[in-house]
Amino acid sequence: MNSSKKLGLLLITPAAIVVVMLFLVPVVLTAVFAFTNMSTSTGISGGAYQISPNALQELRDHYDMPSVAERLSQSGFAVDEPGLAALGKAGIDADIVTELRGHIGETFAARRDAERAIRNLNHRPSLREVKQISDQFNRSIMNARYDSKAALLAAVASVMPNLSGAEHQAIIAASYTGWTWTTGNFRRMASIPGTQRSLVNTMVYVAFTLTLFNIGFAMVLAITTFYMPSRAAGFFRGVWLLPRISPPVIYVLLWKWLAWDTGFLSVFLGRFGIHSRNWMLDSGTNAWVFVVLINGFVGASMGMLIFSSALQAIPRPLLYASEVDGASRWQQIWHIIMPQLRWPILFVTCYQTLSLLTSFDLILLSTNGGPGGSTEVWALATYHTALNNYAGNLEYGYGAAMALVLVVVGVFLSLAYLRLFNYRDLVAKPLIEH
Amino acid sequence: MMDMSGQWRALAVAAMLAVSAGAASAKDVTITVWAGGTGPTDAYRLDAIEIAAGLLTREAALQGEALTIKVEKRAYPGWDDFKQALTLSAEAGTAPDIVASGHEDIAPWAQSGLIVPIESYIDLDSWPINDIYPNLMQIASYGGVLYGLPQDAESRPFFFWRPHLKAIGYSDAEIDALPAKVKAGAYTLANVLDDARKMQDKGVVKPGYGFYPRPLNGPDYWQFYRSFGGEMDDPKLGKLVFDKAAMGRFYKFFVDAVAAGVTRKNHIGTPFDQWYTEVATGKAGIWQGGTWHYARYTGQEGLKDFFGTVQFSLVPAGDKAGKPNTLTHPIVYLLTKHNDKAKMEIAAKLIEIASEPRINALHAIRSAHLAIAKQESNIPLYSNDRWTREATARLLPFANAMPNNPNFGVYWNVMWKGLESAWTGQKTVEEAIADDETELRSSLGDKIVIR
Repeated sequence: MNSSKKLGLLLITPAAIVVVMLFLVPVVLTAVFAFTNMSTSTGISGGAYQISPNALQELRDHYDMPSVAERLSQSGFAVDEPGLAALGKAGIDADIVTELRGHIGETFAARRDAERAIRNLNHRPSLREVKQISDQFNRSIMNARYDSKAALLAAVASVMPNLSGAEHQAIIAASYTGWTWTTGNFRRMASIPGTQRSLVNTMVYVAFTLTLFNIGFAMVLAITTFYMPSRAAGFFRGVWLLPRISPPVIYVLLWKWLAWDTGFLSVFLGRFGIHSRNWMLDSGTNAWVFVVLINGFVGASMGMLIFSSALQAIPRPLLYASEVDGASRWQQIWHIIMPQLRWPILFVTCYQTLSLLTSFDLILLSTNGGPGGSTEVWALATYHTALNNYAGNLEYGYGAAMALVLVVVGVFLSLAYLRLFNYRDLVAKPLIEH
Repeated sequence: MMDMSGQWRALAVAAMLAVSAGAASAKDVTITVWAGGTGPTDAYRLDAIEIAAGLLTREAALQGEALTIKVEKRAYPGWDDFKQALTLSAEAGTAPDIVASGHEDIAPWAQSGLIVPIESYIDLDSWPINDIYPNLMQIASYGGVLYGLPQDAESRPFFFWRPHLKAIGYSDAEIDALPAKVKAGAYTLANVLDDARKMQDKGVVKPGYGFYPRPLNGPDYWQFYRSFGGEMDDPKLGKLVFDKAAMGRFYKFFVDAVAAGVTRKNHIGTPFDQWYTEVATGKAGIWQGGTWHYARYTGQEGLKDFFGTVQFSLVPAGDKAGKPNTLTHPIVYLLTKHNDKAKMEIAAKLIEIASEPRINALHAIRSAHLAIAKQESNIPLYSNDRWTREATARLLPFANAMPNNPNFGVYWNVMWKGLESAWTGQKTVEEAIADDETELRSSLGDKIVIR
């Protein structure tokens, strides 16, 4: 390997590391999570075995074992020989154990009763000892947590010794609290009405923002400033960069002040007798207008910068020659400028499609998907599913499945764009050199 | 006789003993406590743990243990970011020791092993636990096991602006009798729409301000489902219940309110700050809020004569199938799982001490929440407060709570999405209910009873 190649590898290493860490690893993890039922209640790092109310329901409904469920759900405390033996091992004072021996055979239905009796022993065990003792006499496994199958089965055997192997397997499956592999997320996605709606919303969002602003308006800005004196052009480009450099929360807050029912629009229109209203959330169409404007004003600046610099690279003699030939501005734009901008347009289209597909921050801050889900785009719905639940149960697995769809769509679109814009030709070696 | 060097040696040994004994019994513990949905008036949710730490330190000192407890407090004003932060920190193994959150989190967090049953660490017979209302203890339990201790209680009543009621022909006596009328089922949600309409026709409130409910998602909306006879779960089966007819009537009530022009179509999403100011200054006629709003109305919003300007009642019945009701959504102190058992014991003790009626009364009065324990009404600070006294008597006996069920969050999301889409006119009530049903069937299967 020659040294320039080595240098090349060296230079690309940091970028490669970033790509792997920030793109490949998350994508792989998303793909893995997408095939699980992972949620807050299952946890991410694995589970345990617990005879919870849910597990009992599972035994009743899916394994047809109502009598087993009934027995497992019973609570009870019993002072017995094995319990006393365990106390000795646990280091409980021998006098207390001796005194407890006098109570052998006694049973208690509830923890409270059992602990009351233990607390009233002549030796007055401390709270910690009371808990240790009651644990040893607890003959119920309801809600107890076991780290391994063996521990669970041992506990089950202590209350129901004669279960079959199949019944053991059922109890293991029903009581497992962690996540399991499943394709259910995709079935669920295909069957719920919200899916189609989010898809359509996403298409509307990307199509309008991209064509109207990220390409269309960006091109208008680039071309108009191209024909301006450089000082004025610099000023206007600076103005259109402001939305991008403002902190998003403040930027959206300004829009809210403009659009809300106590905001500028309502106050201004109120002078003409128009009733004040929340213009942003008044109807689905209103919300879309604001969502596209809010995102478009930020997005337009990137296209503007790229197109402007590409315009500077067009050889001036071409433009002078066309003017000598009597071409109008419009003809210049159409026949000289646009053909030269094919590569930047491809780049901005590709880049912005992908970034719009996954961006939801400004929508979250402005309409939060409202009114009534009409601006809930796919990425926002993914966020709401995976990281937002009023009752504390975040659905990571289902959220990842939704995110995976975005990854697939993104990769597919990138390939389609490369083909559409004839990428091979664009990167072909110029015939003049070599 | 001991010589000097002997004396010195003895002293040195004694000093060393003292130092090592001190080292053996001195203990520095840092307890972190996080609370969700906790604004400035709810500060005692966290401060109570700090007060408890002071008391526990003194108790330990009397038993010869030099225990110092540092309490690190963190309040999250909202719920979403709090639940995100907590679940993710638990996955990262950096969860706080004590969490104050809604009781509905118990089921999913118990399954994931994030929290442990507090009954393994405290004596259920001891003061003040033996004085806490049994129904609240029930709400803090899951599968018959006590996971947390109730931190507060509240309720989500209807409020009426008295001058506006007068403007549409109510006498003072009629307004005073209104809560009883609601309780008897003689004043229903249909009457709410009528009166709201009348207020707007009279011009005392602007269009869309006749009936002004909570502007964002919350447990409050389950009350309307219950007003139309809906049940959230079937405790016998241990399953959630989706009552299509009741849910449809509940959605239709809001669609009707929009059609009648008394509630705005775009009401959801109104900033809460704006909403508070509006309802506390008579811009709305009838609204639905929370008992703790009293602190905000009379404090930050500057409402001087609350009882002279506002009446409050249960949420009226929607129809014959339903009953007037209200919902209590207690916050519970939960104990998170850690490897350091001794530290968990200290955290549990702090929760226990913080439940002391006198300490809890500080929170109740500061934030206008309701008592968790019977003896709290014997504390003058609490019993002399007209709001807590009247709200407790008028509302708490009729309060229900949401079920502790790990799948309730999925159901709740579906309910809310459906309501929002019907309310804003994106779907008809029938479409919304049909979509709810499809989504519930595919996401919860037989974990929910659909009828």
